[in-house]
Amino acid sequence: MSEVKLLATARTEFGKGAARRIRRADQVPAVLYGHGEKPVHITLPGHSTMLALKHSNALYSVELDGKKTLAIAKDVQRDPIKGFIEHIDLLEVRKGEKVTVEVNVHVVGESAPGTIHVVETQAVQLEAEATNLPEWVEVSIEGLEDGASVRGGDLVLPEGASYQGDPEDLIIAISTPRASAEDEALEVAIAEEASAQSAASAAADES
Amino acid sequence: MLIPRRLKHRKQHHPSRSGAAKGGTTIAFGDYGIQAIEPAYVTNRQIEAARIAMTRHIKRGGKVWINIYPDRPLTKKPAETRMGSGKGSPEWWIANVKPGRVLFELAGVPEPLAREAMRRAMHKLPMKTRFVVREGGGS
Repeated sequence: MSEVKLLATARTEFGKGAARRIRRADQVPAVLYGHGEKPVHITLPGHSTMLALKHSNALYSVELDGKKTLAIAKDVQRDPIKGFIEHIDLLEVRKGEKVTVEVNVHVVGESAPGTIHVVETQAVQLEAEATNLPEWVEVSIEGLEDGASVRGGDLVLPEGASYQGDPEDLIIAISTPRASAEDEALEVAIAEEASAQSAASAAADES
Repeated sequence: MLIPRRLKHRKQHHPSRSGAAKGGTTIAFGDYGIQAIEPAYVTNRQIEAARIAMTRHIKRGGKVWINIYPDRPLTKKPAETRMGSGKGSPEWWIANVKPGRVLFELAGVPEPLAREAMRRAMHKLPMKTRFVVREGGGS
């Protein structure tokens, strides 16, 4: 994916009051760090940052005082209800450098009829080149039967990426859904009640 | 019905209802979820009613997760009782839900079925909620 340009301004005042003023002005407070450098506190434009974060593991080119720095989003804090961005941690990267990131698992295909798939690990840790990070990892479950599973070692990774977890880690499990004994008892009780009601109404109609 | 096996204090104060959820605000296990957008005390009966509404609609088709647990007892004085004479007896078990909390999750069913199942479950809950889909989980 190509770089997303973000025009940053340096932050001079800190604390919740200053951060709230920044957010009210449709901007996002952020911090840029990495490679043992001192962290740089910056402000990013709200709308373009929101659009840039639509793609996971995107590479950003942050321009601050005429100096461009490549970075990836290390952590994004969002409001739990409204969903707007409260703060971003940007990790400075260099071309050719390898970084470890979390990549979402995308399921493709359908498992065998009557079975369901449960994604046990929703994001896997991959090491990849910072300038070429995968947005997601596709896992095909086409035709997999009950009891089958996809493990970390089975993942088909994009070129240049390597899996950082245990190859035995469970990623996707295929199972046949079974109702609990309590649910089955409830279903039987409901069916009995319905049949009793219909019998009672039929008897009332006859008389 | 969800009830704690043992507890430290039989009669507790009412938990705080202010603020937003600190954790559990994103979908962690399934593909779809019900997220609270108002604070509420959710009783174990309401949780069970919502679960039954959901599982009966999906007809054993998927997997349901309940992310909240009713671990707080609420007490009530009997009707027509004069004030005083100590605190009432435990009456309900509640989960203290703050806005943003994902209450239920669902996986293994298509989105329209999940949406309808969760809509039915939402009607059993005492606060405003919304249907949420896992971020970056599209097929």
